[in-house]
Amino acid sequence: MDELLAQFLIEGRELLQQASEDLLALEREGHSPARLDSAFRAVHTLKGSVGLFDLAPMGKALHAAEDVLDAVRGQRVDAGSGFLDPVLACLGACEAWLDAFERHGVLPPSAVEKGRQLEAALRGCMPGAEVPGLDGPVPALPTDWAAALAATQAEAVAAAQGAGMTVTALRYLPDADCFFLGDDPLALMRGLPELVALRIEPRSPWPPAAEFSPFTCNLMLEALSTAPEEEIRRVFRFVPDQITLVELPASAIATTTVALDGAGEASARVLRVDAARIDRLLDVVGEMMVAKNALASLAARVGAIDAGLGRALADNQAAMERLAGEMHRTVIGLRMVPLSQTFRRFPRLMRETAAELGKPIDFQIHGDEVEADKAVVEGLFQPLLHLLRNAVDHGIEAAPRRAAAAKPATGQVTLRASRRGDQILVMVADDGAGLDPAALRAAALRRGLLTPAAISALDDAAALDLVFAPGFSTASTVTALSGRGVGMDAVRTAVEDLGGRVSLSSVPGGGTTVQLVLPRATVVTTVLVIRVGEERFGIPIEAVVESLRLPVAMIQPIGGGEAFVSRGRTLPLLRLADLLGLPPRPRQGTVARLLVVRCGDQPVGIEVDGFSERMDLLLRPMSGLLSGMAGLSGSALMADGRVLLVLDVPELVG
Amino acid sequence: MTVVLEGDIIRLRGDCPVADAEALVARLQEAPGRAVDLTGAGMLHTAVVQVLLALQPQVVGPAGHPFVDRWIAPLLPMHRSG
Repeated sequence: MDELLAQFLIEGRELLQQASEDLLALEREGHSPARLDSAFRAVHTLKGSVGLFDLAPMGKALHAAEDVLDAVRGQRVDAGSGFLDPVLACLGACEAWLDAFERHGVLPPSAVEKGRQLEAALRGCMPGAEVPGLDGPVPALPTDWAAALAATQAEAVAAAQGAGMTVTALRYLPDADCFFLGDDPLALMRGLPELVALRIEPRSPWPPAAEFSPFTCNLMLEALSTAPEEEIRRVFRFVPDQITLVELPASAIATTTVALDGAGEASARVLRVDAARIDRLLDVVGEMMVAKNALASLAARVGAIDAGLGRALADNQAAMERLAGEMHRTVIGLRMVPLSQTFRRFPRLMRETAAELGKPIDFQIHGDEVEADKAVVEGLFQPLLHLLRNAVDHGIEAAPRRAAAAKPATGQVTLRASRRGDQILVMVADDGAGLDPAALRAAALRRGLLTPAAISALDDAAALDLVFAPGFSTASTVTALSGRGVGMDAVRTAVEDLGGRVSLSSVPGGGTTVQLVLPRATVVTTVLVIRVGEERFGIPIEAVVESLRLPVAMIQPIGGGEAFVSRGRTLPLLRLADLLGLPPRPRQGTVARLLVVRCGDQPVGIEVDGFSERMDLLLRPMSGLLSGMAGLSGSALMADGRVLLVLDVPELVG
Repeated sequence: MTVVLEGDIIRLRGDCPVADAEALVARLQEAPGRAVDLTGAGMLHTAVVQVLLALQPQVVGPAGHPFVDRWIAPLLPMHRSG
């Protein structure tokens, strides 16, 4: 993806999130000029960068939202006037548009109409027709345009700054009647030394061709120059009030952001790095771990020849081992992000859901500072969104039922996270009607999911587990929010794909709690893929000392088994087909393929039918029927969709 | 006369002062669809460039003036004749 677009998508989502949080805080805590300013700035900044892409409906809607927020700031619109709903609706639509734009490169066709509706709703909040004219307010944050201008000329700016030059951004807003005064703004621009970029934009949209008047200047000129500021000012000395100069910081187009902590004392430098680079680093560290494994056997061999040298090498190897392990942990740590990155999106969505269903909800989040791997944190969004919407839709009862049960009118939905060693625990709890095991049994029977005998054998916990069965839904009505065929089975699948488990508990009449247990980090295992007959299996590469092709003639029968000589040592040879209980097959050809693997201290040769590639896989623990099988350390989904079983060789050899 | 109509093409000749903006607008408004040829043009006044930006006629280049060719032409719907 284009780097500028990628950056825009990241920042756009952050700005939308920031504005949403500010507005929700306003609603919760009452009027706050700081929050209002922050929301305004976020919307304003986003509107500025939207113009770089083909996102006109979004730009217009944001412009209207900006005007509303500005009017509230200027107290031309009453803060209690219900401006929040249309602005939040606009932010929600923008978020969806960014998703669509990222996926398809264009906005959906409906965006124009949707944008118009949003704009109309927003303009409806404004007193009278407040339309900024030709001499309307100049955007409040001059550095935004400078950054946007720099972004369009990123290469030229980077080249100039790389050569040690200072780049200055110039914005020149000629008077509307400047032509009558004899000004020629472009002639001034032409006189500007060291021009790097020139942009000319209309200050207000062009009228239809027939109404265009050539006598009024409706232009805004922006330029980048590497000339000293005083030289630039000299060129514009007759119109000093019409220009703005901003010196571009060296990092204007880099992606480094500096965050100040709440106290404003210590400052933390935050470097934003593409996740793919971290993953590449992780790959390299993984390869280093494997390369380091070879060092141990090398030290042992050297030790057999020269004990002193061997010890020195072994000491070195131990140090390398420790450092490589520390490096691996550090790199894994780089991928750790707080759950708040996902959780912070929920308050606005829950507000929408509650409004749509007409159920007053008090939504609480706890423990969002807990950290987990980026993949886990991001992967939690969809399943949690589904669970939270379910809680409002199916959990929290309608007002009359709550009143009849003597519950408070406002439903309680809680999202709580905590850390438990290498795992995180995430709970979604509601104080709604709860699930009735008897009703679940009846529904399963009606849908023919299980035989009557099997159903009556289920205890209450197992009956609750029925909601995770594919195609099972207890909702009597299908709302727009949930129950559209994406049920709890999808939640379970999504959580298991992250290496986690999901379970549910419920108190009839008292509420439902769904509990997710997830690994903090998804652990990538490098495996060597081997073949036995037509089957393929993975063996973790840490276990493999070396792979060999050995003439069959060198394999000696010893006792009941076989052995071979490698590097002066006699090693036992086992056939993987035998270990796995597969039907025995005679050796093919004159060369045997085998892996030397470590089992405790003793290397063992394992004969296979073929080797193929090395792969980095997300290993999932065995579940269900396979969980009791010895000799398997897990399974992984390969790129082609097949499941690869990964063997636990020491356990297999026994 | 620096704004010259030849068939459906408006040719700008030499440096175009502010007064040419009005003439250019008139030529473009009386028959939309006319192209503007900059190959013989010198430096253009801002008001002339504004006409090209606002009315978006097809522009034939390369522009005769290096500043126009380098900085203004990229902002216009340009057709380069050679």
